[in-house]
Amino acid sequence: MSTPMTDVVGTADPSEHSDDHTHGASDKQYFQVFWVLVVLTALEVSTYWWEDWFGESAHKVAVPLLIVLMLVKFFLVALFFMHLKFDNPMLRRIFWFGAIVAMAVYAGALTAMNFWQDSGTTRFNDPPPAHSSQIGGSDAEATPGAGSGTTESGG
Amino acid sequence: MADVTYSDLAGHDLPAEAHVTSTGISNEKLGMWVYLASDCLLFGGMISTYLIYKNRPGEIEGLAGNADKMSDHFDIPFTSMTSFILLMSSLTMVLAVNSIARKDLTRTRMWLVATAVLGSLFLGGQVYEFTEFVHAGLGFTTNVASSAFFALTGLHGVHVAVGVIMLLVTVALSFRRRIHPESVEVVGLYWHFVDIVWVLIFTIIYLIP
Repeated sequence: MSTPMTDVVGTADPSEHSDDHTHGASDKQYFQVFWVLVVLTALEVSTYWWEDWFGESAHKVAVPLLIVLMLVKFFLVALFFMHLKFDNPMLRRIFWFGAIVAMAVYAGALTAMNFWQDSGTTRFNDPPPAHSSQIGGSDAEATPGAGSGTTESGG
Repeated sequence: MADVTYSDLAGHDLPAEAHVTSTGISNEKLGMWVYLASDCLLFGGMISTYLIYKNRPGEIEGLAGNADKMSDHFDIPFTSMTSFILLMSSLTMVLAVNSIARKDLTRTRMWLVATAVLGSLFLGGQVYEFTEFVHAGLGFTTNVASSAFFALTGLHGVHVAVGVIMLLVTVALSFRRRIHPESVEVVGLYWHFVDIVWVLIFTIIYLIP
């Protein structure tokens, strides 16, 4: 929507401007998006108790679901509240480019640090547990499970 | 609000303060988006750092610390409540942006103040949460995981505090009749970004085991 950039509110007479200057969604649509976000957040929070309700295997469903819900919430806020859906397409391109590059960079960094195969050992470049036991290295002994905290504190 | 092209301006007698950009996007808005993009990288780096350290507290050779994990001390119901408060503040922020676009200055001020109050409540919750962690023996230097956690959530808190100041300054300026619709929109962009970062932090740091 094209509107003059010089409408400084407070100096102009409101009666002279009867047109709607909003270039995003209406208040009602924002409330709808908000309630969707509330429901998604409630669903996210409920996963905290899933293990008590459905047993230990619940986290196999909960973790992927949490990631999907997080992304949906992220996009809802970006598209509607930040006006990316209604704004200049160039801003959308800047946003997607930055988001994709950031995700790629940090996925690469986490991969380099063996994050996806977290053996819980003290060194980041340890091989994963299965590989450690095959080679019979000392790392196999130092694999107490992720974050078990069995190693001595550094002081 | 800012999407003005050269063709839109043909035949218009523009005031001296008007400016046109080749992209059709005002410099203020584009500048805010570029800043937010750089902030994405900052928060991405800090989230990654916490993810790498979270299961290895006190286990990094040469670094001091005990083996207490942050996640053992999370109070999810409480943090959920503060997350909901921040979510509500995003709604009040867009309502402020819509109000200023309709030139309804009274409602704009009301929604901006509401957003600032909700942001302050979130900050109060974060201070309470940090205090609880410290009482439980988890300070900034307790171990690498706690350092990464406090640095990440503390930086987010600083962003919220700066946002609250921006909101209050905007309200104050509105009484001097110097408020521009796009100023509110740019402050709104910053505020929603702070909310979006918390969406990521809340899920990745707090909820995913």
